[in-house]
Amino acid sequence: MKNKNRISFIILGLLLVLSLVALSACGTSTPPVEENPAEAAPTVEVAAPTEEVAPTEAAPAEEVAPTEEAAPAEEPAPTEEVAPTEEAAPAEEPAMEEADPNALPRNETLYFNGQQWGSVVGWNPYSNSNNNAMAIAQQDNARVLMFESPYVYNMLDGKTYPLLADGPFEWNADRTEITFKLNPAAHWSDGTPVTAEDVAYTWATHVKYNTPTGASNVDYIEDIVAVDDQTVTVKAKLNDAGAAVNPLIVEAYLSANYVIQKAWTQTLEERVGEDATQLLADPAEDVVFSGPYHKYFADDSKVVMVRDDNYWGQDASMWGKLPVPTYLAHTIFKDNAAGTTALQAGEVDVSQQFNSNVQDLWEKDGLPISTYLPDPPYQIGASLPTAFYNLESPGLDQVAVRKAIAIAVDYPTIIANAMTNQSATFDQVPRSLMNPTAGEQALFDHEAVADLQWVGNDIEGAKALLDEAGIVDNDGDGWREYNGENLHYIATCPNGWSDWQAAIEVVAAAGKEIGIDITTNYPEWSVYQTIVTKSDAPLPEGYDIFMMWSDGAGPTQPWSRIRHLLSSEFIGMASNWNGNWGKYSNPDVDALIQAIPNETDPDALKEMYTELVQMYLTDVPSFTLMYRPQSFHTVNESVWTNFPFDGDGTNPPVPPLDLMDGWGVAGLYNLELVNP
Amino acid sequence: MKGYRRYFVGKFLWFCITLVAAFILNFTLPRLMPGDPVAAIVSRLAQGMSNTTGVQAIYEQYAELFGTNRPMLEQFVLYLRNVAQGNFGFSFSQYPRTVADVLRASLWWTIILQFPAIIVGWIVGNTLGAMAAYRKGGFDKVLMPISIFMSSLPAFGMAVVLLVLFGVTLKWLPTSGGYGFDLIPNLSGRFIWSMFVHYQLPFWSIVLVTIGGQAIGMRSMAIYELNADYVRYSRFMGIKDRKIVGYVFRNAVLPQITGLALAIGTMVSGALVAEIIFSYPGLGTTLLTAIRGQDYPLISATTLIITIMVLVANFAIEILYGFLDPRIKAAQAD
Repeated sequence: MKNKNRISFIILGLLLVLSLVALSACGTSTPPVEENPAEAAPTVEVAAPTEEVAPTEAAPAEEVAPTEEAAPAEEPAPTEEVAPTEEAAPAEEPAMEEADPNALPRNETLYFNGQQWGSVVGWNPYSNSNNNAMAIAQQDNARVLMFESPYVYNMLDGKTYPLLADGPFEWNADRTEITFKLNPAAHWSDGTPVTAEDVAYTWATHVKYNTPTGASNVDYIEDIVAVDDQTVTVKAKLNDAGAAVNPLIVEAYLSANYVIQKAWTQTLEERVGEDATQLLADPAEDVVFSGPYHKYFADDSKVVMVRDDNYWGQDASMWGKLPVPTYLAHTIFKDNAAGTTALQAGEVDVSQQFNSNVQDLWEKDGLPISTYLPDPPYQIGASLPTAFYNLESPGLDQVAVRKAIAIAVDYPTIIANAMTNQSATFDQVPRSLMNPTAGEQALFDHEAVADLQWVGNDIEGAKALLDEAGIVDNDGDGWREYNGENLHYIATCPNGWSDWQAAIEVVAAAGKEIGIDITTNYPEWSVYQTIVTKSDAPLPEGYDIFMMWSDGAGPTQPWSRIRHLLSSEFIGMASNWNGNWGKYSNPDVDALIQAIPNETDPDALKEMYTELVQMYLTDVPSFTLMYRPQSFHTVNESVWTNFPFDGDGTNPPVPPLDLMDGWGVAGLYNLELVNP
Repeated sequence: MKGYRRYFVGKFLWFCITLVAAFILNFTLPRLMPGDPVAAIVSRLAQGMSNTTGVQAIYEQYAELFGTNRPMLEQFVLYLRNVAQGNFGFSFSQYPRTVADVLRASLWWTIILQFPAIIVGWIVGNTLGAMAAYRKGGFDKVLMPISIFMSSLPAFGMAVVLLVLFGVTLKWLPTSGGYGFDLIPNLSGRFIWSMFVHYQLPFWSIVLVTIGGQAIGMRSMAIYELNADYVRYSRFMGIKDRKIVGYVFRNAVLPQITGLALAIGTMVSGALVAEIIFSYPGLGTTLLTAIRGQDYPLISATTLIITIMVLVANFAIEILYGFLDPRIKAAQAD
């Protein structure tokens, strides 16, 4: 009796489980297909619904299968993987459907993490809000996988190299115009040539619709015109003296911004009725591109790009061949931990995320994983995460207080905890305004600033500095006073930004050591950013010491970083995403920042930069907490090898930018399979 | 039948009132959060822009587009009108995607993961609990500690244990994603199998935790019922065991059904842990990022879904109660 009951319960339960699982499997596969009918398995679709129910139910019976199938990343799976390779390799676009269109052959796919968070929104190169990290990033090191800029920047040697362009660009004698030629081999994905008219029309569109690119360059670029089919002239905006307002920014435009096809732009304009908002909101699934990769598939869990085997760059005048991987795929992970697990499992080849204690992956786990540098700091630092002082807070208007806190901070602990040693220390690269790259370090006189630099942990020095300034503890409660008030500050950064939070905690601890009460507070990023970027009003309570970033490596650096850290021109902006959030104002600094872009004499430049570093380290309006790489660059060599590394012999050297940014894209052409 | 109708109508009225109140709260509460969502969008667009007027123009353009510059009441009327037409507007954080598009892509994953997991956990848990109460002895002594252990394990703890054990150490099952990292969604056997395999860890991480809690609850309820007068009386009457168990189960399961309704209603938010740990697609993380990004329309739409699901589940349960337990209907209808 009892047994009968039990058995019937169990059977009922099992049946339910099975039916639900079957239901679920059928149900889920539908939505992604709906979303992208064109990309997702066009051939299978029609027959699918009726035929495919069977495998789901049958599946649980094949008990042997799961282990083999589930871990395709473990080994390169020789038997399974060879077949698709052979099928897909010789074929071009149409034949790809014949190969299994649903599986990405491991030996032809390069997997990434740490670039794409959340779903892709669009493929529109005019817009900044596509959330499409693989395809669109117009920045100092522009991402040139799908769209291309005339030049690409190499952060390792500080030079720009032609991409769509042919040969170097040239300034006229007055430095008011740049002229460059386009590579005659360059053509769009639809086969038409890339012309000077495309370059000019791209700029005109940016200006006409006030796109982010347009708005940020319109003060510096007067016009871009097509001289003939291949020749482009960029006219700089001139100041009252008849010189270019900012030649650096004009130059940088050429390596930071894409050339977009005129014909497609006109199609787009027609589609949106020349409405600016709609133009930027268009997902542009039909966009024409010039780069080697384009959209293959995108949904909530991944984005995949496929190589255009008709890519112009295989011309001898450019790369002379196609990039090696057929597919570039990026699984969308929900957090860093999931991304690291996948990297360990060999499901990720190139990791652009912060992998905590990255050295454990090869030292302890013995995995074929490596970073650009074999030893600490493992990565090439490029940007300077910085603690800003609110210069309006009582006491923080005093240099002594600012400098005392800054020299008391335990930087080695920050670098060890927050960055797990993936940052150079301030012994290795003494603080200045420059990042650790050789190019920037050569731009100032190290000896002239040596006695102003500090490496931290200087508690006694900090105390002496405060005592000397008369900022002492009069009432014996342990906290120093200024104007009769205890020095109390709140140090802050966004909640959940764990590396920054670790750094801020160390800053707070330093305060306590020298008699300054510093507590911490971590608001949500949405709140934090609204407050910090509002430079037309005083910062509210709770923002005495706060963290923000600084620029990385690029063609306008270090000038642009210095400008963003120190220039007073941003004070008063209602939405200030540039910098100087602590509102530092020094006319001498402003004058130097103003003058540098038009200075061409290297000696004069060095002098000016040295002066700026001296003023920065003397006034301490903010201070660098660590060095952070432009991109994290960690690779797993289970499937692919020959990734760029320090001293790999490439010339020009391929920078560790995940094979996609600026000159870093050159690394895609050098990849080799571990088991060809 | 008249009693039933009064009961239903009464319930339905309350259902509507709750819905209206919840709808207003869903709209208002997110907008009371400190911070400015348009500033976040401008931050994406304006990085590197150094001219004040340009940034300000962009800001105003988007404030106008999203209507955040209008008075709250006007925003509400607009929202009401749009929702009535089934239009939830643009998602702020994923602009220019629409809310409907975001939900369409992620809602299915959540329902397909959570619904079967909750149902299976509930059925298995209650069955085990009832069996433990009825059979006592060794079965009970083994089941109870296990149940208590499992139910006291937080959901993320169970998820991480499963992940490390079966994903990382034994490598039996994949550690992340809704389907193979090397696959493109389609209706092939390989893909469906891959989905099935990826489904296992998140599924069991929810089921196991649910089973424990349900089993404990059901066992207590059943023990209580087994000692009730009507059971003893039935035994004296010589009524068959099977029939008595049926009565007992029906009575004991009532509170459990309420729990089930709530679990189903709130499954959207309950999916968060499994989604994050296994990087499984779904609505939980969508909601989390929406809240972080102050994506009012997306928060409102998601919470509206949760509200409606809770209400509908509760309404259905109340109705079901009426049939399951005539006492409730009778009491309410009076």
